[in-house]
Amino acid sequence: MESLILVIVFLPLLTALGIKIISKIVNELLINFLTINSALLSFTIALGMFALLLTNKFEPMHLEFFTWIPSPEILFEFTLDGLSGIMMLLVTGLSVVIQVFSTSYMSNDENYSKYFIYFNVFVFSMLLLVMSGNFLVMFFGWELVGLSSYLLISFWSKKQSAAKAGNKAFILNRIGDFGFLIGLMLTLNTFGTFNYEKVFSEVLNGNLASLDIIVVCFIIGAFGKSAQFPLFSWLPDAMEGPTPASALIHAATMVTAGVFMLVRISPILQFSETGKLIIITAGLLTALIAAFSAINQDDIKKVLAYSTISQLGFMFIAIGSGAYVAAIFHLVTHAFFKALLFLGAGAVIHEMHHEQNIHKMGNLKTKMPITAAMMGIGTLAISGIPPLAGFWSKDEILASTFANGGVFYGYWALSLLAAFMTAFYMGRHWLLIFHKETGNDISEVHEAPKAMVRPLVILGIFSFFIGFINTPFFHGLEKVLEETLHYVEITHLPEGITLIVLALISIGAGFTGLLLAYLIYIVDIISYFKIKIPLQEEIKELSSNTLYLNKLGEIIFVKGMKSFSRKTAVVIDGLLIDGLVNKVSTVFYNSSKRISRSQNGLVRSYVVYFGFFMLLLIGLFIATPWILN
Amino acid sequence: MLEIALFAVPAGLVILGALIVVFAKNPVHNSMGLVLTLASLAIIYITLNATFVAMVQMLVYAGAVMTLFLFVIMMIGVDKPEQTREEIKGQTLLVSGTLFILVGIISYVVINSGFKWDLYFPAVEYSLEGTPDLIASTLFTEWILPFEIISILLIVATAAAIALAYDTKARKQK
Amino acid sequence: MIEVSTDWYLTLAAVLFSIGFIGMMIRKNALIMFMCIELMLNSVNLTFITASKHFGTIEGQISVFFVLVVAAAEVVVGLAIIVSIFKKQSSASVDLLRTSRG
Repeated sequence: MESLILVIVFLPLLTALGIKIISKIVNELLINFLTINSALLSFTIALGMFALLLTNKFEPMHLEFFTWIPSPEILFEFTLDGLSGIMMLLVTGLSVVIQVFSTSYMSNDENYSKYFIYFNVFVFSMLLLVMSGNFLVMFFGWELVGLSSYLLISFWSKKQSAAKAGNKAFILNRIGDFGFLIGLMLTLNTFGTFNYEKVFSEVLNGNLASLDIIVVCFIIGAFGKSAQFPLFSWLPDAMEGPTPASALIHAATMVTAGVFMLVRISPILQFSETGKLIIITAGLLTALIAAFSAINQDDIKKVLAYSTISQLGFMFIAIGSGAYVAAIFHLVTHAFFKALLFLGAGAVIHEMHHEQNIHKMGNLKTKMPITAAMMGIGTLAISGIPPLAGFWSKDEILASTFANGGVFYGYWALSLLAAFMTAFYMGRHWLLIFHKETGNDISEVHEAPKAMVRPLVILGIFSFFIGFINTPFFHGLEKVLEETLHYVEITHLPEGITLIVLALISIGAGFTGLLLAYLIYIVDIISYFKIKIPLQEEIKELSSNTLYLNKLGEIIFVKGMKSFSRKTAVVIDGLLIDGLVNKVSTVFYNSSKRISRSQNGLVRSYVVYFGFFMLLLIGLFIATPWILN
Repeated sequence: MLEIALFAVPAGLVILGALIVVFAKNPVHNSMGLVLTLASLAIIYITLNATFVAMVQMLVYAGAVMTLFLFVIMMIGVDKPEQTREEIKGQTLLVSGTLFILVGIISYVVINSGFKWDLYFPAVEYSLEGTPDLIASTLFTEWILPFEIISILLIVATAAAIALAYDTKARKQK
Repeated sequence: MIEVSTDWYLTLAAVLFSIGFIGMMIRKNALIMFMCIELMLNSVNLTFITASKHFGTIEGQISVFFVLVVAAAEVVVGLAIIVSIFKKQSSASVDLLRTSRG
């Protein structure tokens, strides 16, 4: 039974290979057939495995593929427990839906088969990551996910901006991977193994040596992958890739790999106060900065990108507060409504003939009603309006943060501010695209094709109902993750009246945000009441330029590195090293020229040399006992 | 007393002859100095009971070899007086250095041994006489191989001398 | 009563050797250098004979024989070489032979 895990993981890889082989000789239809069917197959098997897991009360299943290194023992192994089961279902399920969407979005593209090959490679690597049984296999998946992301971002590689964005994503990812790699090596050094169970049992037995460093290294890895401050600037640029790819990678799966990894190592993480502090601070900063930047973006996808970064910040806040279940819950709900939003944006872009500026759209709900309705559901979900999914998960995060007390009250307040901003910019996003009456020409626009609309509807339904898997009344997700987080101290929600008050406050924040967006952008109360908002233009500038953080990074790192490497090449390499080597050779040359002058062919010189050194030798022999004394 | 005189006089003559060899200007004077040295050495050999060797030395060395030297000096050695200025660079320095080390070693050895001159000849009931029959009995039995080899050496030397001095041009002209 | 000891003879041989060596370094005339070589060989002979008397064996004197013969042969060949070289150049100075210069 466990070997079905192998089928789930490797089926996308085989599909990719298959498409590569037959791509030259078949048309799009056959590729569609192959890839969608294999995705459906993966999903079905995944459902079956999850059901099996459910009946076994989520006791973890292990599968050892093969032994790679006998000593220290490093195996290639997989684990299927509650956590990886959920991720597996999420990845395979979303893969089906998004691939259906892609068949329509990417049709008539000249690199159609290449897209699906990369897509399947990505699904394979993500499955490898989540189903891994030890840190090493996770690292393989980790790296491969970064690679597939790069391939998909720079898919339209003829565009220079796409290629640069791909580079940026990969490089920033790499910085995170560096941290992960150091963490890996430290783990092997401290615990002698990569296996999760063994490492966790070691730590739980009290071996806390060098735990902080290991955890911090892994956290750096998570920052790179999940676009936290300061490694987040690649995600907005990654919008150069095809929209369905963005939906899968940058909404639902790859960026959540960091969150998944941190929850996976939660048995170790719970002992590291430094790590938790770093996580929550970074998460908070990220959520706030990204939310602020999203307020004044013009591109339809960039708003969603910043929104993703912000929501990932929320997940990190959850982890930092010790609410691991809340983090995974938010991960799942966010996957659905963010994928929905991205696919909706994709439909809009497709119908507007690749126009992406939201100020050039307006009143599209009359032309694209289903898309508008679904995007509306997504917007409401992300703003935290009950009973949609986003409310339950976001509220759980906020409540858990509050429950920790002390300085966490401040964190809660700031998170609330971020939630308010989220509602505001998402409201602005939807209103400007679909509701606002502008004078733009939208007569050519009609509803998206069926293959695009149907996935939207499916995701919309899920966004509506998925929240119910973990309400305060029915802790479904908590039960799923119980075995995985058996030894982890989870922060629980506050009880009774506190919970209700908190919930009301966060609903209030959501509503207020949406209302404010409506008032400002539709009713335009600013000019109506002639309200003078101080520094209005400056705030808008700061927002659209991400607080000039990108510029700062470019000056420090890109220009700085270039000038530093130039200096190194000229000074250190040219003058010092070359100079040193040349000096050595000239010294030898000159000294040998001088010494060769002693060979003058005269007998008398040789006699003298002979006698001189002979006497020296005799003197040495005589004087040796005296020297040794 | 007699023994000391018997040692000191020939010793002094040896040194004198050596100094004449090194420092004389005229090459003939040099050869005469060498003859003086060889003869004095022969006397010293006799005091050391090596009578046969002394005879051989006088015959071969002072007789044949020096005659050879004088012939060659007459042929080529007497034309130009030798320059006394040293031409090779650094030679003076090295020579003085060598002398310095030499003197240093000798003085060290002398001082270290505390001016003891106590290496005496062993007092034996009979002293070894270097008579011909004693020498011959060892030379022709134990040391026969080196003896044969040096006889070959002599033949080779003779042949070499003839080959080197052979003037083919003059021969052909004849 | 001061006795003539082995030391004296050995010292004499050493002094003779040094003088011969110094002469080799100083003089330029090839023939005189040769004579200095003879001096050195003779000092070695003296050492051998002294040793023979000191240890009471006859081997020393036999070695002297060999040294003598070799010296004679060497003189023969050396003088022949000197003669044939110096027929070309008029002077007898060794400093003019610089062909094996490095």
